[in-house]
Amino acid sequence: MPDRALDGVRVIEFADETAAYCGRLLADLGAEVIKVEPPGGGRLRRARPFVRGHEGDPNASLAFWVHNTSKKSVVLDLETDEGRTLARKLALTADIVLEDCPVGYLAERGLGFDTLHAEKPSLVYTSVTGFGQDGPHAHWAYSDIVGQAMGGIMTLAGEPADPPNMIYGRQADISASIQAAQGTLMALLYAEATGEGQRVDVSAQEALSMAQETAMQTWDFQKRNRTRTGELGMLPIPLPATGVAKCKDGYVSLYILAPAGKDLPALVDWMREKGMQGPLDDEPYRTIVNQLNMAWLTQLMSNPAAAGEILQHLPVITKTILEFFATMSAREAYEEGQRRQLLIGIVSTPKDIAENAQLRARDWFVRIESPIGGTVEFPGPPYRLSETPAVISRPPRLGEHTDEILASLR
Amino acid sequence: MPKKPLEGLRVADFSWYGAGPIAGNTLSQFGAEVIRVESETRPDGLRRVHPFAMNPDGTFKTGYNVSGYFNNFNTGKLSIQLNLNVPKGQEVAYRLIEKCDVFLTNFTPRVIDKWNLRYEQISAVNPRIIAAYAPMQGLTGPHRDFLGFGAVLTPVTGISHMSGFPHRPPIGVGTNYPDYVINPGHTVTAILAALRYRNRTGKGQLIELPQIESVVNALGTAVVEYLVNGENPSRMGNRSLNASPHGAFRCADDPESVGSVDRWVVIACRDDREWAAAATALGHPEAAADPRFATFEARKANEDELEALIGSWVRDRKAEDVAAALQAAGVPAGVVQNAQDLLERDEHMRARGYYQYVEHPEAGREAHDGPAFRLSATPGSVPGPAPLLGEHTMEVCERIIGLSMDEVADLLAEGVLV
Repeated sequence: MPDRALDGVRVIEFADETAAYCGRLLADLGAEVIKVEPPGGGRLRRARPFVRGHEGDPNASLAFWVHNTSKKSVVLDLETDEGRTLARKLALTADIVLEDCPVGYLAERGLGFDTLHAEKPSLVYTSVTGFGQDGPHAHWAYSDIVGQAMGGIMTLAGEPADPPNMIYGRQADISASIQAAQGTLMALLYAEATGEGQRVDVSAQEALSMAQETAMQTWDFQKRNRTRTGELGMLPIPLPATGVAKCKDGYVSLYILAPAGKDLPALVDWMREKGMQGPLDDEPYRTIVNQLNMAWLTQLMSNPAAAGEILQHLPVITKTILEFFATMSAREAYEEGQRRQLLIGIVSTPKDIAENAQLRARDWFVRIESPIGGTVEFPGPPYRLSETPAVISRPPRLGEHTDEILASLR
Repeated sequence: MPKKPLEGLRVADFSWYGAGPIAGNTLSQFGAEVIRVESETRPDGLRRVHPFAMNPDGTFKTGYNVSGYFNNFNTGKLSIQLNLNVPKGQEVAYRLIEKCDVFLTNFTPRVIDKWNLRYEQISAVNPRIIAAYAPMQGLTGPHRDFLGFGAVLTPVTGISHMSGFPHRPPIGVGTNYPDYVINPGHTVTAILAALRYRNRTGKGQLIELPQIESVVNALGTAVVEYLVNGENPSRMGNRSLNASPHGAFRCADDPESVGSVDRWVVIACRDDREWAAAATALGHPEAAADPRFATFEARKANEDELEALIGSWVRDRKAEDVAAALQAAGVPAGVVQNAQDLLERDEHMRARGYYQYVEHPEAGREAHDGPAFRLSATPGSVPGPAPLLGEHTMEVCERIIGLSMDEVADLLAEGVLV
């Protein structure tokens, strides 16, 4: 067994959807994370998708699994005196309390920050909610899509003709949890150095706000709202070699005008090797291909009129490029394009990711026990620490550790 | 002033663009001294792109120091100009790393090799260093030198395939999404874990954060559905497997919302109680009892009709009013807000003081994202404006690295500090 970064740290978690991934990050890094669950479990225990054939089984929700690896589970009913008493005893054994209950819920049950911190001054107490612990919306009902909407990222995603798009994968919850993990560890380091614990307060709305990209500063400086523009993102108009390109068997995304990669002439070189450069070696296209780069684009964004008559020729360039990508597989476009330092990303399906040559070559996927028997393959950790690796072990069955943990409290 | 928790920590930030510098920014907001290593021979691309600050006459300011994009991610850092393409520049880099606790980069291994900044090289200089490498694809493997940034990761990691409406191609999510929270947040998490280990053992270590691995880890259940069930799921717009209705509904336009007058409210009903409360709050209690919508299964089976019905209820109403009515009934709901809302009109954001304003010597007064988590005893804050390119070259060379004025003069003359 390797050394663990969070060896000896005990976390008592009263979390369901919003803080559970934070608990998971701490657990995979070696903390002992004891999840206190209500009888029957919380929403994630009941959330689809399930292991096929086990719909409704609280131990078989894949949504629960991905947020709860490496933890222990204790069932306590906080609506009873006995449950509250045990939860309080348990919380006072912790270095960290992690929770995502509605604001005030735990305090009403004798488990609030003020009470616990008064008894244990070194305690770190992390609260992760939709809108944080104070302010006029602190008590608002929250679900992931509400965080994405109120945090400003949905307005940037989608086609103008469609409703704004949510990003897949409970990204408000995930963002809140990732921010919470950083705050919790900073507070833990501080408590270990000084003996002084504190409250960590995370609002999912704020947690996501940085992901508005440049929208915030665009309003601040220029009093203009960025809005959803389909595949254009920050681009003011459709430009060649940017956006989605259809291949024989799927899609790739092109960002060839962006900095850090090679510019358009390198793509035209590749097209020429396949005899598919079309008219791009001829004027006026040849000159335009050499001109379209980041500096030109920045100029265009400062003064759209400066693009002038170039614009009328862009559709021919775009069409020629899209015809080229339509002749190959997505994987060939991605791998050969990247070999040429062209900024191209393959649009992966989940199956593609499971079969991704890089992830497989690096042996990233892990095999864990399934809480309902046997073993399954599972995505690996987000990072590799050479001395203290994150180790993923299986999520707990509902109440699996109740007897063991409660016995230790007596 | 309360103490910040990372005071005394020194970070050599050899990163650029989004994911790396934001990790450094978080450390800076909580008290670390972060030294951004830059070069005019290859300036951070974000210094050169919009949004630029404006002059009073309505023209854009120009130069390397006026991009809000760059400035927001580099608050309070020191900037040294250092040409890493020459051996003397690499020697200065080693001397800087010797004085630092954390090394941070998001360059590909190809560039790291070229600059002689591999872990075995820098840990030979400073065995206690916590060295965080966050390239796109990792330090090894057949794709290790693949290029990209958030917008390339979005398709590669499955976000594009899984997000958006099924009748559309996988257009992505409009931004370089993983650059802003997932990757810098995981990076800082790993650095703090490694700091704890170093506090206890004295040992530094290598952190490798392949951005592709970091993002797929945080991508919900999609990949697990394939690994466990053999299913290959796809995007379903704003709908959910666990809630109905679950989506965005168009309300009355708001002419004061500059550049995006269409207004939308999101609604999520996770059970029959929330649905009944929502229908009642929106003035249609009869719909709650309608057998087409009475149960979750029925609502999923008739979701097109359900969404059209709700759309007709709210289309002429103010989005803020719809959200407030639903919230008063305990239903998760909210306005799809834009930046104008977040900076100026959202009373909650304002009350919590999330955005912080600083004066930048060239860009002027700027809004900044404040700390994304609040520590009651040792809060973070925006420590100051982003540095001008090379603003602190002399200071870093003399105060931190310990070079003499003569040595600095030589390095300047030889074109090393550019």
